[in-house]
Amino acid sequence: MVSPIIKASGIEKYYGTYRALSDISLEVANGEFLALVGPSGCGKTSLLKILAGFEDLSAGSLVIDGKDMAGIPASARPTRMVFQKLALFPHKTVAQNIGFPLHLAKRPKSEIDTAVRRMLELMHLKESYLNRFPHELSGGEQQRVALARSMVSQPPVLLLDEPMSALDAKLKKSLQAELKHLHRHVGTSFVHVTHDLEEAMMLADRICVMRAGRIVQLGAPSEIYYRPADAFVAGFIGDTNLLPAKVTRVGEGFRFSCEILDCTEPLLSADQVAPGVAAGGDAALMIRPEMLRLLPQGENAECTIVGTVNEYFIRGASIQYRIAAAGTEIVMDIPGTSTLPAKQGDAVRLGLALGDLFAVGA
Amino acid sequence: MRLSTLPLLLLMGLFFVIPLIMTALLSFQGTQYYRLVWTWDLKVWTDVFSQVHYWTIMWRTLVMALICTLLCTVLAIPIAYGMLHRLSRWSDHITLLMVFAFLTDAVLKTFGWVLFLDRSGVLNGTLEAIGFPAASVNVLFTPNATMIGMVYNLLPYTIFTVALSMARIDGDLVLAARDAGASRLRAFVEVTLPLAKPGIWAGAVLVFVLSLGVFLEPKVMGGGTSPLAAELIRQSFETRVNWPLGAALTLVLIVIGAAALTVFGAVALWQARRVAND
Amino acid sequence: MTKSKGIPMFSPNRRTFLQGMGAAGLAGAGLMPRSAQAATSMKFMCWEGYDSPDIIKPFEEANDVSISIDLITDSPGGFAKLAAGAWRDFDVVATDSPWVQRMGPAGIGEFLDDAEFADVYDSFYPQFRAPFEPLNFEGKTTGLPTRWGWVGPTVNTKYDKLESWRSYAPCFDPAYKDKICVLDWGDWPIMPMALYAGIDPYKELDDAELNEIRLVLRALFKNTRAIVGDLSVAQKGLMDGSFRTLIGGGTYCTSALRKDGQKEIMSIVPEPKDGLKQGIIWMEAGGIVKDPVDDAKAKALLRDLTSPEVAVKLAWTEATCNLVPSQKAEALFTDEQKDVLQMDYMWEAWDKSHFHNVAPNIDQMLEIWSQELAAAR
Ligand SMILES: Nc1ncnc2c1ncn2[C@@H]1O[C@H](COP(=O)(O)OP(=O)(O)OP(=O)(O)O)[C@@H](O)[C@H]1O
Ligand SMILES: [Mg+2]
Repeated sequence: MVSPIIKASGIEKYYGTYRALSDISLEVANGEFLALVGPSGCGKTSLLKILAGFEDLSAGSLVIDGKDMAGIPASARPTRMVFQKLALFPHKTVAQNIGFPLHLAKRPKSEIDTAVRRMLELMHLKESYLNRFPHELSGGEQQRVALARSMVSQPPVLLLDEPMSALDAKLKKSLQAELKHLHRHVGTSFVHVTHDLEEAMMLADRICVMRAGRIVQLGAPSEIYYRPADAFVAGFIGDTNLLPAKVTRVGEGFRFSCEILDCTEPLLSADQVAPGVAAGGDAALMIRPEMLRLLPQGENAECTIVGTVNEYFIRGASIQYRIAAAGTEIVMDIPGTSTLPAKQGDAVRLGLALGDLFAVGA
Repeated sequence: MRLSTLPLLLLMGLFFVIPLIMTALLSFQGTQYYRLVWTWDLKVWTDVFSQVHYWTIMWRTLVMALICTLLCTVLAIPIAYGMLHRLSRWSDHITLLMVFAFLTDAVLKTFGWVLFLDRSGVLNGTLEAIGFPAASVNVLFTPNATMIGMVYNLLPYTIFTVALSMARIDGDLVLAARDAGASRLRAFVEVTLPLAKPGIWAGAVLVFVLSLGVFLEPKVMGGGTSPLAAELIRQSFETRVNWPLGAALTLVLIVIGAAALTVFGAVALWQARRVAND
Repeated sequence: MTKSKGIPMFSPNRRTFLQGMGAAGLAGAGLMPRSAQAATSMKFMCWEGYDSPDIIKPFEEANDVSISIDLITDSPGGFAKLAAGAWRDFDVVATDSPWVQRMGPAGIGEFLDDAEFADVYDSFYPQFRAPFEPLNFEGKTTGLPTRWGWVGPTVNTKYDKLESWRSYAPCFDPAYKDKICVLDWGDWPIMPMALYAGIDPYKELDDAELNEIRLVLRALFKNTRAIVGDLSVAQKGLMDGSFRTLIGGGTYCTSALRKDGQKEIMSIVPEPKDGLKQGIIWMEAGGIVKDPVDDAKAKALLRDLTSPEVAVKLAWTEATCNLVPSQKAEALFTDEQKDVLQMDYMWEAWDKSHFHNVAPNIDQMLEIWSQELAAAR
């Protein structure tokens, strides 16, 4: 990583005696898109506010764009924030909102005007909106105005605090696409807080998972998804099956035993085991729902699960089955078909490849 | 017109329009021997329009009210802002103190000011103790003292209305302005101030109306040498027992007040057009 | 007198307004405790002092009545209220003598039979005995005097010699600039100034004379520091020397200070000027409002107020101390009280004074007053 745009080391944040952030060390590369995920109250907003300069840090250091941010007010930082509730100025028109950072920088009117129009185009907003007030726009349009305002002066770092959480799915999808497009287009670094895993996976170069004020895992989306650091990350990121198992180290790999899972050769290679798993003892086997498939009569797989269909949901592109197996409910997603392969109450066999298994600490 | 507005209309009629009509009718009567006589003539009104001093006092009242409104508004904005943002930890205590001061009898407060501002009062005593010449603040019994009293007694109205409207502003908006590169002052000017305008206007109107009717302050703190409209009206009613004259002067004051408010309102409306109500 | 009697302000202010509202609410809800469920209830309009429980309570008990009080804040205002119809509600009134005198001709007062009150007159100083002209209307008696005093310069001898105030001249002396306090008590400050200008304000005045009054007021306002409606503010200034005199005041303003031991503060009347007396005697009187509920009890209240025992109480109140017409009461005062009331000076003051009355041109004078005041600053 060439000189990072953000370099946070050992950041702590106390609200009174309550510790909201502990030992946050993080680097964001220039032009990188980092997604910040974690359960509610884990400190995502706090971290963003520290980056933006709205909150002081209690300990640690923060360098953005090569400068130590200690004592530098929000107004002088190379960051720009998009607020969860957008925070568009209700008394300013769309044009005034978007042009506000340039207006503050005392740029000539013509320059502001050009920049505003450029942003308008970039955000697919109509020119007739320029003289409207924010409350005269739809939610998605307001969203884009907020983005436009934060990007108009081409800040090196853009901080987004769940700006899309209030939007409906379809609008969200198109805005996500636009965001990705913008990111490629403008080369700004993004730190994007979201609750939505799919969004994080789709947009981010790397995902940072937080829990109770700490970073639990920081890595590429596939790494987070397929190689979660622990059961928390595995469970937080998407639907997943975590099956209790016992593991014992055998040479380079691990041997495991699991009541529910019947494998021809219960062996995991070293990279199929999270670092936190003890050399011998309890672990959980993670199986993503889409890794399972229905085994037709007579067919076999490296690993199988036998159970009964509890429920199923037709979701269009996929069908989700919930299957009772040895007292546990297993979730399976299979590609959608017009004829249902199994119905409620049917006895089924599920198969999966041994290589898709991943063990995390229990 | 809907039926549900009827009670409101009746109430307004009862408490506002009817007394106003009665006042107007009263102004066409006469007095004789300290008693009202029903004459139905314009004597009082010709009197009102031919006497310069009534208008001197009305004009003075209007000017004082405008200055007071301006001062209260200008003072209330930083005070309210400070209470909410800079001293937010103490804002409950400050509010409590202000409520106490506000609820304390105006008479007591005004007399307190007399003791404070007097040549031999607390202020001058303190100043003298730290080396200033004796009686260096000679403000009591001047129009300036009246203004001090008016501002002191009416300031809470503006502070409360302004603080109320400032408290309703989403804090993120100010952060967004700061984030966009605005200094604290700039963020205040660009965001807080325009969004607090409804409260600022409301406070200003309230104080203006109240200050048109101030009575105690010019009399007690101002030393009675520059009487304002309320004193003039009181004198007409009470000392001269000339109710028609008092009624006419009351109407004049109401009209002046209403005219000023209309101008206020026009400006405020024009402002409100710009501050889209969100 | 037309004046504030120690209560902070005599006109509607926020507090009295709210209190009024509260009282009205309570009364409306029937929650006001009636002082007693007595046989007769009487309404008494009076100045502060007459309402003292010391005076009212014993009378209520002795006569089986309950008295509700309506305090006067301004004499003409009180008269106007009665004249506007309130006379139907009231039984007895104690106010400035000119206004009692006027109740007869206005048809809102009962005349008194002097013979019936012969014993009361007998207890009075000779100066107040029947027929007592100031309360007479066309030979008929309108009321009984209750309290009196004089209007003249009020002097703090710590700062000024009494001799300096043998005339009102210092009021116009540049050396006294900003040291004069004028009491904002309607006609009271105007009368002495008119006298100083050589005009008897109690007779019908022509335009030239009214103009003299205008000039003298204009000159007075030049030297005036404050026009004060409240007695305590005026008294405070007199004590600390910031006001050298109170124009329109007199014993009424100084007696309470003397009571508190400040004997250096006195009220005097100026010497006659060009043959015109410069002092003014004020007097309060009690009268019976037309058609009282109980004529006998209304008369009993008048007798009570003029009896030596009650007179002493009436003379000696918190806010002010005043002389009473009752000669018999004189024996009941201590020497100290007599000194406070400046009794040794009272007949001298009486002799050098006019008797206060409602001036025929008072409305013009008040108008001139406010014109000059409006133009002063
Ligand atoms: N100003 C504050 N004073 C005290 N505690 C605070 C303050 N702001 C946040 N906290 C606490 O710090 C913790 C982290 O808050 P933060 O807002 O950063 O959470 P978050 O991860 O953004 O949550 P969400 O996803 O719900 O927005 C929470 O427990 C919160 O209650
Ligand atoms: Mg948050």
